[in-house]
Amino acid sequence: MSADRESHDMNGMTDMTHTDIALLLADAADEAEIGIAPVQAVIRGGRRRRARRWAVAAATTLVLAGSTGVTLAVTGLPGHTDRNAAVAAEPSTPEARHVYVPQVTEVARGTDHGKSWRVVVSVWGAPRDASEAAVQLAAMRRYGIESAALPDHRHLVGMTSYYSGLYYGDNPLRTIIFNTVKKWEPETGMSLMSGALPLGRANSDGPERLVVGAVAITARQVRCGWKDGTSTVVEPQAVAGSPVEWFACTAPEGTAYQSAEVIQ
Amino acid sequence: MGDGKQARNEAFQSFMVGRWPRLMRTAFLLTGEQHAAEDLVQSTLERVYVSWRRVGAADDPEAYVRRVMINLHARKHRRRLKEFLAPKDDSGLVHEIADAGDRIAQADDRGALLKALAQLPVRQREAVVLRYWEDLTETQAAEAMGCSVGTVKSNAAKGIAKLRAIPGLAETVTHGGRK
Repeated sequence: MSADRESHDMNGMTDMTHTDIALLLADAADEAEIGIAPVQAVIRGGRRRRARRWAVAAATTLVLAGSTGVTLAVTGLPGHTDRNAAVAAEPSTPEARHVYVPQVTEVARGTDHGKSWRVVVSVWGAPRDASEAAVQLAAMRRYGIESAALPDHRHLVGMTSYYSGLYYGDNPLRTIIFNTVKKWEPETGMSLMSGALPLGRANSDGPERLVVGAVAITARQVRCGWKDGTSTVVEPQAVAGSPVEWFACTAPEGTAYQSAEVIQ
Repeated sequence: MGDGKQARNEAFQSFMVGRWPRLMRTAFLLTGEQHAAEDLVQSTLERVYVSWRRVGAADDPEAYVRRVMINLHARKHRRRLKEFLAPKDDSGLVHEIADAGDRIAQADDRGALLKALAQLPVRQREAVVLRYWEDLTETQAAEAMGCSVGTVKSNAAKGIAKLRAIPGLAETVTHGGRK
C-alpha cells in the first residue's frame, strides 16, 4: 500500500513463497489442541441426524429419536383421503392454540418387568411470533423433552410440533418420534410410519420391543410382526391435534420388532 | 445385519480417530478458534457418519469429508461472518518484529497469521488453507469448495497477496521461515 511496502515487495523482502506459506500454516495449525476424538458423541449426533434426514426423505412428518435400534418404516400405497390438516378459524390466544400447554393423548399403557409404562403423544400449537416461541420452548423443556429433541428456536414461529414419548417406570420422558412442521400432512391409504425401540429405561440396549407409529385416519388395524414369527394386531387411535392416528404395540418377552403394516 | 452394522461402525470409528488430528488442524485454520474448530469437525463427522455406508465404500472418503467441512464452514459464515471470526484482541502483535528462533516470537507470528487468515474473506481463506495446508491440487480444492478451478486460483492468489502484505509475517519469512 505505502511506498515503503511497494519497495519491499520489489526487493523481494516479502516474497512469501508457497513453501513459506505452507510452513507458516503448519506452524499455526499446531496451535490447535487436538484432544481425544469424541467418537461416541459424534455417533450419537450422527444417529440423530440420520433420523431427521429419514424424516425429510420420506416426505412425512417424522423424526425418530432413540437408541441404537431405532428403525423407520415407510411403506404403503399412495392412497387418498380428503382429510385436511388445516384448522379453520384458529383461536387467537396462545393458550387456546395449545402453544404453551400441549394437547396430550395417551396411546398405550402396560406393565413390563413390574414397571408401568405409557406412550403419549403431545401436540404443540404453532407460535405466532418469537416471544410465543420462546415461551413454548421453555414449556417444552419443563414438559420433559430432552434438549436434543427440542426444535430450533429460530424456526419455531408458525410451526406445529409433535412428540411421541415413552414414560417407563419413574424414568423421564423418552422421546420416540417427533417433528416440527409447517403443515402436518396426514397419512393416506395404507401408509405407515413407525419407530421401534427397546422397551425400557432410556438408553437401554435391549431388543426393540416397542413399536410406535402413525397411520391414516382411515386405517382400522395395524399388525406388528415380531422376529419369532408371531404378530400383534392393534387399532390405531385418534390423538388430539393430530391429523393422523397413532398406535403402539409391544413384542412379547424374548422377541423383537420385525415389521409393521396396516392390514385394514 | 447386526454384523454389517457393527463392522461399519468400527470402520467409521477408526477413520474418525485416524483423521481427527488433521481435521482439527484444518478446522482450526479455517475458523481461527479452538471451540469453533471442534464444533466444525464434530458436525462434519456427524454428517459423514450418516452417509458412512456410502462414503466408507467410496474410493476417496477424504474428499467427501473435505467437501462437507467446507460447506459447513461456508454456511456458517454466510450467517454470521463477523462474530464467528472476529479477532479476540488488538494487541498489536502483528506489528512486532520477531527474533528468529524465539518461541514467544514464534507464538506471536502464529497469532499474526491466524489473525490475518481470519480477516480474509471466507472463500479466500478456504482456498489458501486447502491449497497450502491441505496441499490439495487446484482441482481437488475446487471439488471441496464446489467451484471452478479458476475460482480456486483467484481466491488463493488474492488470499496469498493479502497475507504477504502483513509486515510481521513478511519479516519472518524473510528471516528464513520456520524450522
